[in-house]
Amino acid sequence: MRAPAGQVAVAAGVLAIGACVLGGSFFLPTGGGYAQVGPGVVPRVVGAVILVLGAFLLAEALRGGFPGVDEEAEAKLPMDWTAFAWVSGGIIAYGLLIEHLGFIFSSTILFVMVARGFNSRRYGLNIATGLVLASAVFAMFNYGLGLTLPAGVLKAVLP
Amino acid sequence: MDVWAQLMHGFAVALTAPNLMWCLVGCALGTAVGVLPGVGPAVTVALLLPITTKVDASGALIMFAGIYYGAMYGGSTTSILLNTPGESATIVTAMEGNEMAKRGRAGPALATSAIGSFFAGTIATIGLTFLSPLVVELGLKFGPPEYFALMVLAFTTVSAVLGESTLRGLCSLFLGLAIGLVGIDNQTGQARFAFDIPQLLDGIEVVTVAVGLFAVGETLYFASKLNQVDEKLESIKGSIWMKAEDWKRSIGPWIRGTLVGFPFGTIPAGGAEIPTFLSYAMEKKLSKHPEEFGKGAIEGVAGPEAANNASSTGTMVPLLTLGLPTSATAAILLSAFQQYGLQPGPLLFESNSALVWGLIASFYIGNVMLLVLNLPLVGLWVKLLQIPRPQLYAGILVFATMGVYGMRQSAFDVFLLYVIGLVGFLMRRYGFPTAPVIVGMILGPLAEEQMRRSLSISQGDPMIFVTHGISALLLGLTLVILIAPLVIGYLRKRRDMPLGATGEE
Repeated sequence: MRAPAGQVAVAAGVLAIGACVLGGSFFLPTGGGYAQVGPGVVPRVVGAVILVLGAFLLAEALRGGFPGVDEEAEAKLPMDWTAFAWVSGGIIAYGLLIEHLGFIFSSTILFVMVARGFNSRRYGLNIATGLVLASAVFAMFNYGLGLTLPAGVLKAVLP
Repeated sequence: MDVWAQLMHGFAVALTAPNLMWCLVGCALGTAVGVLPGVGPAVTVALLLPITTKVDASGALIMFAGIYYGAMYGGSTTSILLNTPGESATIVTAMEGNEMAKRGRAGPALATSAIGSFFAGTIATIGLTFLSPLVVELGLKFGPPEYFALMVLAFTTVSAVLGESTLRGLCSLFLGLAIGLVGIDNQTGQARFAFDIPQLLDGIEVVTVAVGLFAVGETLYFASKLNQVDEKLESIKGSIWMKAEDWKRSIGPWIRGTLVGFPFGTIPAGGAEIPTFLSYAMEKKLSKHPEEFGKGAIEGVAGPEAANNASSTGTMVPLLTLGLPTSATAAILLSAFQQYGLQPGPLLFESNSALVWGLIASFYIGNVMLLVLNLPLVGLWVKLLQIPRPQLYAGILVFATMGVYGMRQSAFDVFLLYVIGLVGFLMRRYGFPTAPVIVGMILGPLAEEQMRRSLSISQGDPMIFVTHGISALLLGLTLVILIAPLVIGYLRKRRDMPLGATGEE
């Protein structure tokens, strides 16, 4: 049976995380002092264990796959990359826009993009719903609970 | 008895108007997020953590706890009416409950699960009331080595016992431990893994991780994989009340489910999946109508629902008395305590007894509220299930990003949220459990502190963990839990070998 490429990649990712943690631990002092154990000891142990776990994962993946993960069943539900991209794009756009457009418009854009990811093309409805929801949350948090969400381009018009 | 006085004191706290209101808000919110697919109690409590700066400790904690056990009630409604279960602990309910609903018996299924949840929740709260002082007595004798050993045991059971793969559970746990390392070491002030990024110096917030893994990861997964699967919402036809026959068949399973669920919650094995499956198997064996199982047997709803609620209340025992969280939501509750500078554990029962007992008393009140919310008012929650998926998930992400951005007003956190969401997506896709990540990142720093404290007591001698009796016992138990499945697996393989298997599947 061929090794599932995705699983091999996941195992490699775990190995990489382990290597980073272990590598990083060498920049931290491990010993001495009153506490006997420095701040580097636990990272070193954690990093080493992650490397070992990653190696076991890799072995499992190469020997036909993780037990309990049914790649055949997964293949019957193919990845919808368009949907994935819409949802991802929505969150990234939110991160890029929040400090410029403000909370209400960034959230509306996020709302429309995520809904599109779920195959909703009723843009008018989604823009309206997003605007109402975001405005309600904004009002509740900024005027009710005293948290400050950014007003952005609406700074001049909002109280 | 002293417990009575303490409990009455607790009721005096819980029955004040603001605390009753927080309890109701928590139970209602909990039911709502339990009903809604795509969002659960862990995310909700995490997103609400910022209110700890505005609300007093008892009010906020009463609400958070209400969300936790309220979600258990709400989750069963979804499992019964929808063919895709909302919470992992209600998978079993989904099997029988959904079958009952398909046969026009949604009403009795909802009733037996709500009344069973109430019964189990109340009995488990009584258990919590009387067991806690005993565990506190024991906990007071524990020093740093014992606590460290206990935490190691909790780590192991949370990651190794749950889920289908010990290896993947441990990967999740250590990922959580690694996340917990980021930031300033609270004993020496040394920055760890911050890569000179100022936002990382404060550590990675549990809000970002919980919301990323659960809300963002789940949304990505649902959008790209499950959106193709059709969901069918069953309607509630006829009366929701149970007939005499239904009562007769439910009482036994409720009692047995509670008896199975509560102990599982209290030992640091966490999670409600195992007791629900055990209860289901038990009812199937004991039932006079085994032929109905798989086609909508009421016992198969009553038992697991009781087990699931009893065990979620049971997890409060280690959380409150020893500061050990054994589920994702319990871990986030622990961090809610920390927001107030409180550390759950035996000392909290002495220093903040009004708070702790007020919280325990609120469980009694909350269960009554939930019974009313979930039985006569069930129609209200069913309306939530009619929200179309695109708008539901879009709305969830608006709240998710708001919570994470609003916490520190930092766009960096939004990108971090997305990265953690990607990890959550991969974990979901490749069968890694997510709860150990949260438990690891919150309990990890505490365990490290206890370990370093122990070693400074012993002047660096690691033998302190084995020379202390209780600590040695707990570490031994941990080893058994880790090694036993390997040995059993090896023996099974050896036994099966001659039957023509080559060892490869």
